[in-house]
Amino acid sequence: MNLELPLIAFILATALATAVLRDVLAAIIAFATYSLGIAVVWVVLQAPDVGLTEAAVGAGVTTVLFLLTIAKTVRPSGDRVLERLDVPALGVTVLIVAVLATTLGALPEIGAADTTVITSDVTQYYLEHAYKEAGVKNAVTAVLAAYRGFDTLGEAVVVYSAGVGLLVVLGKEVFA
Amino acid sequence: MSESTSEADLEAAETADDLQSYVESPIIMATVRVVSPFVFTYGLYLMFHGADSSGGGFQGGVVVATVMLMLGIAFGIDPLREWVGEATLVLVVAGGVAAFVAIGVGTVVAGGGFLDYSAYGIHHASKYGIEVVELFIGVIVAGTITGLFFAIDAGKDGGDNE
Repeated sequence: MNLELPLIAFILATALATAVLRDVLAAIIAFATYSLGIAVVWVVLQAPDVGLTEAAVGAGVTTVLFLLTIAKTVRPSGDRVLERLDVPALGVTVLIVAVLATTLGALPEIGAADTTVITSDVTQYYLEHAYKEAGVKNAVTAVLAAYRGFDTLGEAVVVYSAGVGLLVVLGKEVFA
Repeated sequence: MSESTSEADLEAAETADDLQSYVESPIIMATVRVVSPFVFTYGLYLMFHGADSSGGGFQGGVVVATVMLMLGIAFGIDPLREWVGEATLVLVVAGGVAAFVAIGVGTVVAGGGFLDYSAYGIHHASKYGIEVVELFIGVIVAGTITGLFFAIDAGKDGGDNE
């Protein structure tokens, strides 16, 4: 079954809804469904690790954080459902999409065996040696936590720094 | 004219009311009671099983954090914050980073490279090392997201409301 076309239609529709809906609550809900669509795209592109992150962070946690944030805002008055069209912004957006679209032809088929990523020596090295050297079946995890463990420590410290940065900005010592 | 003013007042009052009130819903509370142990287990599964299938510390940590988010939404964020304790989250996150660094330094002390797990010399050292590191990544991520949740919620009272 051809999943791609309905999926792309769904993502375009939810992205458009996020942009044009006037009520912030509705826009947040549309954005969560958009993230869910993107998570499915990652699965179609055979990147389940990224899809899992997108579903948990994009569709789950950020939605809740957004909902908490808009508690301080006021609903816009009036009955209009859609935002007024901002012509300059629309022009810039169309231009960026057009520039990005020119690269589409250079992309390989999904799962093609002859792309440079697959044929590269680095990829082949990890696929051959990951199980023997790191003892885990998921080569992504082997690279993440064993071969590039120092990078991952850096990533974990980035998350930690986000928390510390928030506390510094708020001038607090605890999350309360 | 006067009608539109009163409407605006009503709207403002509603928003101010939204800020304070936490709506106690038996449906949400019952659902969260049933669902949250499974979500928590799934988060731990992602952390531990990330070595052999998709997932890992970052994803598992986020899923574990969503348990805290669900509890906060169902039972009120302020009681949850009191239950967790003021300084606990900061200690948990800092402890996770310290443990990660300690594992890396430990391999250097044992005579290997930084995070070269085989230096520990136990059976399947690399596999267990990766799983322990993933667990601490999960602790850091879950603690930080819960902290962001609490901190953003704490902004609802105080500050300017304009």
